[in-house]
Amino acid sequence: MAKTNIVARTGNEAMAEAMRQINPDVVAAYPITPATEIVQIFAGYVADGLVDTEFVPVESEHSAMSACIGASAAGGRCMTGTSSQGLALMAEMLYIAAGLRLPIVLADVNRALSSPINIHCDHSDTMMVRDAGWIQIFSENAQEAYDNMVQAVKIAEHAKLPVVVTTDGFIISHGMERIEIIDDAEVKRFVGEYKPENYLLNLDKPITVGALDLQDYYFEHKRQEVEAMKKASAVILEVAGEFSSKFGRSYGLFEKYKLDDADCAIVAMGSTAGTAKVVVDGLRKKGLKAGLLKLRVFRPFPKEEIADVLKNLKAIAVMDRSDSMNAQEGPLCLEVKAAMFDASAKKILLNYIYGLGGREIKLEEIEGIYNDLFEAIKGHAKDKVVYLGVRE
Amino acid sequence: MNLKESAKGENLFTGGHRACAGCGAAMIARQVLMAAGPNTVVASATGCLEVVSTIFPYTAWNVPFIHSAFENAGATISGVEALYKSWVRQGKYDKKVNFIAFGGDGGTYDIGLQSLSGAAERGHNILYVCYNNEAYMNCLSTSSTIMTKDGLKKITDVKEGDDVYAFDQKTHQLVLKKCSGVFDNGIKEVYELSTLHHSIKATSNHPFLVVKRNGRGRENALAWKTLGEIKTGDEVITLKNIDKERPGTFDFKKSKKGDYKVNKINEINIPASSSPELMKYLGIYVGDGWTRPEKAEVGFAVPEDSEARGVLTELHSKIFGSPVNRLEKNYVYANSVNLARFIDSLGFNKGAKNKTIPDWVFSLPKEEKESFIQGLMLSDGYRIGNSARYVSASNDLLKALRLLLQITGYRVGKIHQQTKVKGTFCVYRELLKDSTYGYVCFSKKKGCDIKKYPNQYRYQNPLIENKYFDTEKVRSIKLIGKEPTLDLRVEDEHNFIADGIVVHNTGIQRSGATPRGADTTTAPVGKVKKGKEQYRKNLTAIMIAHGIPYAAQSTAGNWRDLTSKVEKALSIEGPKFINVFQPCRLGWGYEPELTCEMGRMAADTCAWPLYEVVNGVYRITYKPKEKKPIAEWLKLQGRFRHLFKPENKAMLDDIQRVVDENWEGLLKRENPVSK
Repeated sequence: MAKTNIVARTGNEAMAEAMRQINPDVVAAYPITPATEIVQIFAGYVADGLVDTEFVPVESEHSAMSACIGASAAGGRCMTGTSSQGLALMAEMLYIAAGLRLPIVLADVNRALSSPINIHCDHSDTMMVRDAGWIQIFSENAQEAYDNMVQAVKIAEHAKLPVVVTTDGFIISHGMERIEIIDDAEVKRFVGEYKPENYLLNLDKPITVGALDLQDYYFEHKRQEVEAMKKASAVILEVAGEFSSKFGRSYGLFEKYKLDDADCAIVAMGSTAGTAKVVVDGLRKKGLKAGLLKLRVFRPFPKEEIADVLKNLKAIAVMDRSDSMNAQEGPLCLEVKAAMFDASAKKILLNYIYGLGGREIKLEEIEGIYNDLFEAIKGHAKDKVVYLGVRE
Repeated sequence: MNLKESAKGENLFTGGHRACAGCGAAMIARQVLMAAGPNTVVASATGCLEVVSTIFPYTAWNVPFIHSAFENAGATISGVEALYKSWVRQGKYDKKVNFIAFGGDGGTYDIGLQSLSGAAERGHNILYVCYNNEAYMNCLSTSSTIMTKDGLKKITDVKEGDDVYAFDQKTHQLVLKKCSGVFDNGIKEVYELSTLHHSIKATSNHPFLVVKRNGRGRENALAWKTLGEIKTGDEVITLKNIDKERPGTFDFKKSKKGDYKVNKINEINIPASSSPELMKYLGIYVGDGWTRPEKAEVGFAVPEDSEARGVLTELHSKIFGSPVNRLEKNYVYANSVNLARFIDSLGFNKGAKNKTIPDWVFSLPKEEKESFIQGLMLSDGYRIGNSARYVSASNDLLKALRLLLQITGYRVGKIHQQTKVKGTFCVYRELLKDSTYGYVCFSKKKGCDIKKYPNQYRYQNPLIENKYFDTEKVRSIKLIGKEPTLDLRVEDEHNFIADGIVVHNTGIQRSGATPRGADTTTAPVGKVKKGKEQYRKNLTAIMIAHGIPYAAQSTAGNWRDLTSKVEKALSIEGPKFINVFQPCRLGWGYEPELTCEMGRMAADTCAWPLYEVVNGVYRITYKPKEKKPIAEWLKLQGRFRHLFKPENKAMLDDIQRVVDENWEGLLKRENPVSK
């Protein structure tokens, strides 16, 4: 097993640390709470000569992603970080980065979207760009944020799609944890050297990037993009396999926690999964068969796999840390439902919209969800969509 | 660099791109790359240059090229250059490379200014070239017909200078306006918008005038919506009446000699102008008549017992001063070379499938139009209850009739197609072979008692009391396919009447670079406003204020000035900016071969001075021997035409004053001590 160092790091520090070890060619970024720290810490590494990176302190997130697109198309490995409004401002360029099939890695520290303005955690920002063509990986804690960043570079370059790794704003980004850091040399060996096939700085073979694609080609290129997204699941699992064999920590598209024999389960993403595990343990002690499905990869959405692991449950609650404003259900719930529908697995499926704008999610509330599920199994009707913890 | 030497170099921006003939932007790109040479990476903002040069799977660029969005050429080239620096530092790369970004004036002065400013401030080693055509640069199917002073014309026959009917957006009256340009927009996807009585084919971005409902009790407004934004149920503005009507006048010279085959000239009176009688006669002709001038024959298929025969023979004697020559069971003949040639000269076309209603019929007095419709009905029309139906094998005829009926106070349905087999009895006669016919149904519009229920009627139709215009609900919008498209530009009102519907003309939108006084679609010339009111922002000065080591202005049409500035810029480390003046033949309305001339005149009039600023030191690179008046240059461009009206002299003088002030200011900056 590779050598590791045990340290105390916040989520932001852990991500910046991963970036230092990856040593990208270009980082272009603009500060925004709560992601500012990643950029700040990384700028310090640049100032101290610890990385070879050309740091471009751009004047906006739009330009950050634009510069990353320029640098990536030119042949470099490049990264950026942002949150909330910054990700929203980047939205136009996120679609372009994916359409141009550029392996850019973005650290997004999840934060609510304005208006009203709020700097705290929810998943609205990542969900807003869920269909931009980026692979989306959620982290439960700082350790996962670190490990996901290291894996993201490899995933992006093999899948030929950009990757966003998310942490929950403040909860993970500013929370100090005990994490295991891999040795610099090991990370360097793991990510390897990026060798693009075609790139702008190859003057011997001039290419045109970003051509005007009309009715006769656009559709085919978008079709290829979605095919790449479908095949990305296999790439993610392959990279996770290699990571596990070298560094011991194993990852999949999702994590099953006491799920196999469970009567009911919660589906959640990010830090809430960690909280739910505590509740599951408590309920198990009482002899109640509660389980958890923690989704790690939201894009590509592992629909068959999810339908398969949920098929034996009697009731499911999907926790959404953002709302779609569709007067229906939260985005994660809709995805899970669609997966269940395709698998013809009709279940009791409740949706809990929670934690918007950083509203705390408590153990008792998650326990309440499990109680609802057990009640529902007994035949007591429950609300399909619950706004958990909101004052109404 | 000399021309011979540069011509030897590889062509890095190749031909075969889709730019307009005489496009200044393509010229600029080619000359910039000629000066820069092959070790160059180009980034471009979304805009004309990128669109015409990179239509997948083709590219005009023989150097590495990247385009990602409209507002970020500065940031994109920053990223490319940042990677270069990183690789050089890591020892992975050792070539010397030029980094050049191209942006139009929209992508540079307006939406892309932040990105450019950021790149300049961060000090990237890049050259940003703005191809500045001073504006942002939509269409109808070529099958559209346009209402003009001279009647209804096919859009393909409308010429610059023609008087076309337009909707006055303030008074809601019908006005005549000059067409100031016709644009071929190529083959595009077109949609058909249909109302109960009208239909038109246009591209999805073509704007139509629609009623904006503000709720009961509130006044409704009119607004422009693109066809793409229009939904079924929206109400478009249609033409219901035109005045300024006059009888048609005929300039027909009678033949003195007979035809070589038939030496027979029936001495008949040819009328000098139209009349209700003649129009009814011609109505019957369109349905049932034919001409054979070579046989001195005008014939009508009107059977003995038909109403048409009685009317026809009576009208013939009355109009032409002599009776018809021959009556058969089903046919009536008039033998006259002159009559046959006269009818041919009127433009109704020959043959059942090709007949149409010529444009002059549309501007006839209402009474004459009504008579013509009556004549048509006597031939190929029949009535079903209150509804009249006209049948014809000519689609052009039905289309024209539909529009004629619409402006003569009728409700008209769509054109129906039907096929009848040989032998079917159809309007007085049996069909000789299988035949595809079309028909339109119409009925007289009933008046409504507005006085009795004023609010209800006005709510239903905000234009109910308007003499000329009406509103009609859109019933369907369907994709038709790809068709050739054209568009017009109309002075002042910027709209015209196509297929009976009020539509907006082509789009040239103002930008931060548009000069004062220019007529654009988003800053149009109207009764009060005289085009764009603001002077353009001085972007070159803004870039100089960034303290960058090199900034310059150049122009298309002066290759030596441009290429030497590019060479000098690329020899300097750091951010560089060249603002290149680019005449745009489509947007400005001049002849395509004048692009270079237009560019040079901008420098000769000092409207666009050619100068450079190297590390803060100004140098004017071209001082015209004789500074030409700005009016000489402006008068060549359609967009400034209105400035030459006497009432706009003050604005023209003001433009000259500002040009003079700016030029004096530049001279002082070049030589601060001498004055």
